[in-house]
Amino acid sequence: MTWSLNEIEALSRKATRGAGYPWGLAEEAGRAARWTCAAGWPGALALADVLTRNDGVPANTLGPQTLGETWTTSAGLLCPLVTGAALCDLAADWAAGRSVTLGPGAWPLLLVPYMVWAADRTGAPLSLDWHGCTITRADGKTLLDDPGAALDRAETDTVHLSTTEARAGTVLTRLYRATPMPQAVAILDTFAQRTYAPETEASRLTGAGAGLVDND
Amino acid sequence: MDQAAQQTIQPRDPDTVMTLARLGAAHQTRLSFMRQLLRRLVRDDWTITQTSFDIDAGGVGHAVYTAQGPDHAYSLVAFAHDLPADQRSDRVIATAWDATFTLFDGIPTKTDIARLRDNVPLQESGRISDRELSLSRANRSVRLWDHVVGALSQGHQPDEEQVRAVGYLMRTTAVYGSGKFGAADREQTRHRPECAGPFQIEMLSVYLTRCFVMDLVEHMARARAPKTAVPLDPALRRRFGIGNSTGLGMAPFLVNHPALLNAWVAAREEALARVRSQPAAPEATAQAFRRFAARAQVHAEGWHSAHPMQIEKCNALRTDMTALMAHLDTADLTTDHPWNRLWLWGEAHLSLEGQEQLASLLLEPYGDLVDDLTRCMAADEQASFPIDGTMSTNRLKAIIEDVYAWALGLDWTAPDAQARVWYTSQAKLEPRLGERALEPIEPYEQPLGPGRDAVLAHAALRDAPQATVAEFLLAHPRHRHIARRAQIAARLPYAEIRDNTLSADMLPVDMLRLKLSFFGACHFDPRSDRWLRINMFQHAPFPHELAEMGDDWTLPPLPGSAQ
Repeated sequence: MTWSLNEIEALSRKATRGAGYPWGLAEEAGRAARWTCAAGWPGALALADVLTRNDGVPANTLGPQTLGETWTTSAGLLCPLVTGAALCDLAADWAAGRSVTLGPGAWPLLLVPYMVWAADRTGAPLSLDWHGCTITRADGKTLLDDPGAALDRAETDTVHLSTTEARAGTVLTRLYRATPMPQAVAILDTFAQRTYAPETEASRLTGAGAGLVDND
Repeated sequence: MDQAAQQTIQPRDPDTVMTLARLGAAHQTRLSFMRQLLRRLVRDDWTITQTSFDIDAGGVGHAVYTAQGPDHAYSLVAFAHDLPADQRSDRVIATAWDATFTLFDGIPTKTDIARLRDNVPLQESGRISDRELSLSRANRSVRLWDHVVGALSQGHQPDEEQVRAVGYLMRTTAVYGSGKFGAADREQTRHRPECAGPFQIEMLSVYLTRCFVMDLVEHMARARAPKTAVPLDPALRRRFGIGNSTGLGMAPFLVNHPALLNAWVAAREEALARVRSQPAAPEATAQAFRRFAARAQVHAEGWHSAHPMQIEKCNALRTDMTALMAHLDTADLTTDHPWNRLWLWGEAHLSLEGQEQLASLLLEPYGDLVDDLTRCMAADEQASFPIDGTMSTNRLKAIIEDVYAWALGLDWTAPDAQARVWYTSQAKLEPRLGERALEPIEPYEQPLGPGRDAVLAHAALRDAPQATVAEFLLAHPRHRHIARRAQIAARLPYAEIRDNTLSADMLPVDMLRLKLSFFGACHFDPRSDRWLRINMFQHAPFPHELAEMGDDWTLPPLPGSAQ
């Protein structure tokens, strides 16, 4: 069975919120999961693992402590959802020539959509690299150069972001359907369930404004 | 050129336009999505064919209606069921319906039909694929259905008064599109001209549903009495629209799609400003306007609701229409910025219902001037999604003070100010609204109170040591949601509802009405403060009548006119 990308995004947004992240980060995480699934990458699995690691941890402890030249966290691994958000926020800085080294962090592939949004926002080509894996966004295209198969590492010591002139690798072809791993979907769904209010009689009767006969 | 001829009227202020009361008085216009669709069907010479009608005398089976455009075909696959009366409910939590539908991308094979038969009747519990573009269902209006089948089978036309009182034979409840329940995502089709505008797929699905329902009722009459049954008279047949029951789910949509909301409202406001800026009008245009206004008066007379709040609004609209017609008897509609003068008269003399009806009417004679704005009604939501973290915190604070001035002036500690909680129930994920003080639902609150959230962010920004938005949001990630909204609204003036969506006296139906008016719906009939019924495509030409009648159908014909 394939999933629509909307389904992946909605599930991921709710799951991220269910794991305790605020709505704004959850909205971005939903789109990041959608983007990575449309790239054919294990975005749902990556998100499920990140949420499991960070379940209930306050989001303001999961990202970089300061936004200088090196981003680290005292909490261990940088969360790609919080780090990616900050990375996208600073699109104008990267376009102006600033660069950053960040890590150690979890699931760097989840940083890619945030980098893509930053590049598209300013038009400045950007690249992310870790462990010999380089992903470049330029002219509306994404290039992947990954000779060492480091793309879907669950952890990495450092990730480097900068503008780039290089165009290494092959252009990604986007997909229109997602095929998430069932175990990842099960984890995301468990988190998403936390955002639904349990059914009560009062809620059923009044919450949607029923009460009038509608069989007429 | 003299000074007056150069006068350009600016679009209305968002603080005026985006209040809940005014959104709740919105009327369809010629920019509405149903009308965009029918104009396209005529312009590009689409053909619509019933390609299969395999339904038994008990009303059970399937039918296929194919719309063939210049490059693509789309087929409504309809399944008709025999639904016991006690299972008929318009709520999302229903599990069975009189008819279920999907819009198939192309022309379905027998294998496709078999697959769809196993899934479409189950709706949310089934699964569709990327070959399907929408999923929907409809229930009969029992009172009118039985009457029409009975009358036609006995060889005579149904009673016009009963047709008028209900206006449709079936009403849809949810019409799901864009990737729901496995359907194709919008990005799969949006490069096609016919899919580029908002909700064009869903509107096509409803238009074809109307064709099916009318064919089905005539089929049922023939099945009951093959020797005596007659078809509906064509003029009477057009008086049947498709009903729709719409609940709370639509209200969050408006808040969750700020860039799209802006695109819709900005197009309408630009259209109104263009017409108001006309320095003069030909006599023929003035006459056309008077005819449209007279037809709108007929429409207002025929608009019925059992809900006290809507009864009051309809009464006000009827009074407004009487005043407008009296004013038009003597008004100069041809010189000295006639439409701006008329608009200013309306602002001074009409209720919100009447003012918004007037806004709609002013666009009617000016298709050449405003119809191109329909191309601006889609939105690239990704483009406005990223936050600019290099913005200074002072600038973000100033934006909040501008866009959410109305909210900063409210006392949010008052119990009524945030009495409501928007949440999603476990039952079929139905969106609901609850009472913050009475129900344990706050932990499940959806982010649908931008005003409250803006005030909280503003307070945090006042004390924030951080210089940039990125640093501020790193320390206070809970404000990311509203920081994004504020930045969007700073660029897109109509992106935010400038009113309190959490207050005790908020009426969700106001939000539903805005969205439905952009669909092109008429006859809003609230059944409570949070769900309503409407009529879609009433008076619209059927496929074989499209070329002749074109786009001029939404307002009812004048009594005794050729239509």
